[in-house]
Amino acid sequence: MTAVRTRTRAGSPGASPTRFDLAGGALALLETSHDVPLVSIVIALRCGSAVDPPGKTGLARLAMRMLRRGCEGFSSEQIDFRIDVLGAEMAVDTSHSTVAVHAQLIARNLDAFVGLVATMLGTPTFPAEELERLKRESVAEIVEARDSDRAVAQKAMQRTLFEGHPYSLSSGGTVPSVQNITREDVVAFYERYVVQRNIVIGFAGDVTAAKAPAIGARLLAGLPEGEAAPDTVPEPTMRPGRRLLVVDKPERTQTQILVGTRGTAPHDEDHVPFVVSNSVFGGTFTSRLMKEIRSKRGWSYGASARAGVDRRRQSWVLWTFPAAEDAGPCLKLSIELMDAWVDGGVTPREIAFIQRFLVRSHAFDIDTATKRLHQGLDVECLSLPADYFSAWTEKVRAVTPESASTAVKSRLHTDDLLVVVVGTAAQVLEPLRSVVPRLSEVSVVPFDAE
Amino acid sequence: MSDPAATRHAWAEQANATAKQEHGTIHYEGAVAFGGETVHRYRLGNGLVVLVLVDASAPIVAYHTWFNVGSRHEHPGKTGLAHLFEHLMFGETEKLKAGVFDRKLEESGAETNAATWVDWTYYHELIPADRVRLAITLEAERMQHLVLREPQVASEKDVVANERRYRVDDDVEGLANELLYKTAFVRHPYQWPTIGWMDDIKGFSPEDCVAFYRTYYAPNNATVVVVGDVKERALLVSIRDAYGAIPGQTIPAEDVSPEPPQIDERRLELRKPTASEKLLIAFKGPALGDADHTTMTVLSEVLFGGRASRLYRALVVEKELAIDVRGWVSTFRDPGLFECGATARGAHTVDQILPVFDEAFARVRADVVSEEELARAKARLELGSLQALETVSGKAEQIGFFETVLGEPAHAFRRVEAYRRVTASDLRRVARRYLVDGSRTVLRVMPEPAPSAAPAVPSPVPPAPATP
Repeated sequence: MTAVRTRTRAGSPGASPTRFDLAGGALALLETSHDVPLVSIVIALRCGSAVDPPGKTGLARLAMRMLRRGCEGFSSEQIDFRIDVLGAEMAVDTSHSTVAVHAQLIARNLDAFVGLVATMLGTPTFPAEELERLKRESVAEIVEARDSDRAVAQKAMQRTLFEGHPYSLSSGGTVPSVQNITREDVVAFYERYVVQRNIVIGFAGDVTAAKAPAIGARLLAGLPEGEAAPDTVPEPTMRPGRRLLVVDKPERTQTQILVGTRGTAPHDEDHVPFVVSNSVFGGTFTSRLMKEIRSKRGWSYGASARAGVDRRRQSWVLWTFPAAEDAGPCLKLSIELMDAWVDGGVTPREIAFIQRFLVRSHAFDIDTATKRLHQGLDVECLSLPADYFSAWTEKVRAVTPESASTAVKSRLHTDDLLVVVVGTAAQVLEPLRSVVPRLSEVSVVPFDAE
Repeated sequence: MSDPAATRHAWAEQANATAKQEHGTIHYEGAVAFGGETVHRYRLGNGLVVLVLVDASAPIVAYHTWFNVGSRHEHPGKTGLAHLFEHLMFGETEKLKAGVFDRKLEESGAETNAATWVDWTYYHELIPADRVRLAITLEAERMQHLVLREPQVASEKDVVANERRYRVDDDVEGLANELLYKTAFVRHPYQWPTIGWMDDIKGFSPEDCVAFYRTYYAPNNATVVVVGDVKERALLVSIRDAYGAIPGQTIPAEDVSPEPPQIDERRLELRKPTASEKLLIAFKGPALGDADHTTMTVLSEVLFGGRASRLYRALVVEKELAIDVRGWVSTFRDPGLFECGATARGAHTVDQILPVFDEAFARVRADVVSEEELARAKARLELGSLQALETVSGKAEQIGFFETVLGEPAHAFRRVEAYRRVTASDLRRVARRYLVDGSRTVLRVMPEPAPSAAPAVPSPVPPAPATP
């Protein structure tokens, strides 16, 4: 099985990987660079944790992690040892829209590594005892993650903002959902989704266009052609009103504050103006948020605002982390700044400044083969517009103060907000709820809530 | 064929002959092989070292300024000054109002940040190649014209205090690590955290900062590292013109007390709200420049590196006592620590984990590791070494770090060669030398109070009255 054709995507030269279709239906992307004798290989599915069955969140991630736990001729221990001795590393990355195996290795061992991974992909054995072991590991990791206040805040925001929607579910699963997954679930996931037509395979680094098609074909040779996963995820919705959720954790000297609402979608005609305006508000070290919260007042080490990008409209989240005694004033100021941004827009001077930053810093988005590959993978797996990255600088240049301000005003509804604060509730609850105007709901949950 | 070194010498002499006096002088000090590339070393008349590696793979430049000052140069009661100062360096200068430094760089598309540790402080810009002169101008400006007044210092102290809360006070691993070093070192400055004790952070005055600036921020205490798509000569002329007039200073002789040998086992316990028990063990380790450092690094990989390592297999996979294990040989100029750690899983305890560690340590002291294990460890280290060189920033960091700590900008490549030479008997030798039970520090982190037993459901609280 070999590549059937090679083509180059239209767009800025060098900004889009070379594409070729493999005979079994998979798409392959290639970014060659001989600067360092390393090769990166990414095997990405065109679906992620959004396809996890109800009550079994974490399945997509668990199933792909099971690849290391046994295949024909290799035990889990032998696979781990073989990966290391080949000077390679391998990890699984899961999001709602894609789950991917990322590998990087010393180029001289490419042939042997490809042989190993082809065996892992084509003949996984999913040993029952290894699945139970991995489930116990996963549960322990979920519990341990509660030590990170930032992670606790992010999880609380995720599960509460779009409650009931697949985007509210943790890609890593919860303790009960992981415990609920069976070997049959893993096998069913693998048989349905780990098929050639549902795979985008990426290469970056010290591998040539002459060799990559054959390597791709060899890696996937043991997989059926199958069908790509349908995209059935609906648009997320959120409950109306302003809500405050305090995640109670003892002995906190600091708070983690997130303010979230619905944000932007990559196919919105005002997506780029939205992102540009958000960069003015909270995307750089000299953004409005940083200037007011850190530089002027010293309240927090950082303050930023991020617009998530996925197949559907994702969240827009403001993040800062002041000392407990500054939490009330800092949240009050954050909301005032947000209101002023949404209502008052951005100035021509701010737009001109951020355009220069975004256009000139684009060089750092594409300076390595691995970065360019990941842009190509995002286009495919997140269903981004084909020119999302290749035409990025032109689109940024085209943004006007009016288009930026209009985009934010029409997309961000500040009457519908979720404020999540991780802190010691006894200390911060009252100061916090007194500073959010028009609060419709206040809740307190323990930090180890799932 | 012309001699490249002679050509550079001749060029520097010619440039010096035609330069105005206030521009200073440039001296070429030779080339250093950096893998398949070359680092060229120059020095200005005021002592500033400039290391240049031309890499035209992308139209970008990494511009790093490494100062030979870190928390080792501080004193009790004034800990955290080097780190606070790193923050202040992004503030006002005589020519630039507050915030202008960052705005100018952002407007050029540049990324900028800095880091401070025990032996060094460095500032870095990643900037489009056609804007590199801006980085040169700004770095030269803040090397000599920083403005340090009460409002700036007070505000930045608050920021650093919040950084400390984030990284240490509310982070159990950060807190445990701080306590480990405080206990393992009794005399050497490595005993205090680079971010500083909270009381010290709050106590700094503008005068402290000015004195620190005048003492350590001098061209003869710094190395500029430039990696990227540059024209070497034009770059050097720009650097000379920007920095040449900054006078060198008398850098005080370092007043660091060597750490006495540890002849006892120090045990301590930390109780914090955390999900699980944690264990940290610290043996005294070799300095970065010690030949044993590379050998200990290989040993650390055998024990802790990756899922196939001995302790990962034993504790995470087979006995399921831990969630993770980790080992690290500190990369410090003076002898540091070999840090080992594990996070207990669920209700398992450090009392169950410690004997497994001890058994593993005893085994590497008694027996040689297999050739397969040795090959595995070396392959992992080679991969890590290559990964560090993937970007111009990565290369600049390797060059600057090893130049500042060891005076060898290409030491990264020497280390890879050294890893290859390590034998199984070398590992047993260093295990016997450093993994000494009676001279280590053992820290247990215990959960307290117990994790919340509250039901995982929202507890409704009436909202506050609506405000207009």
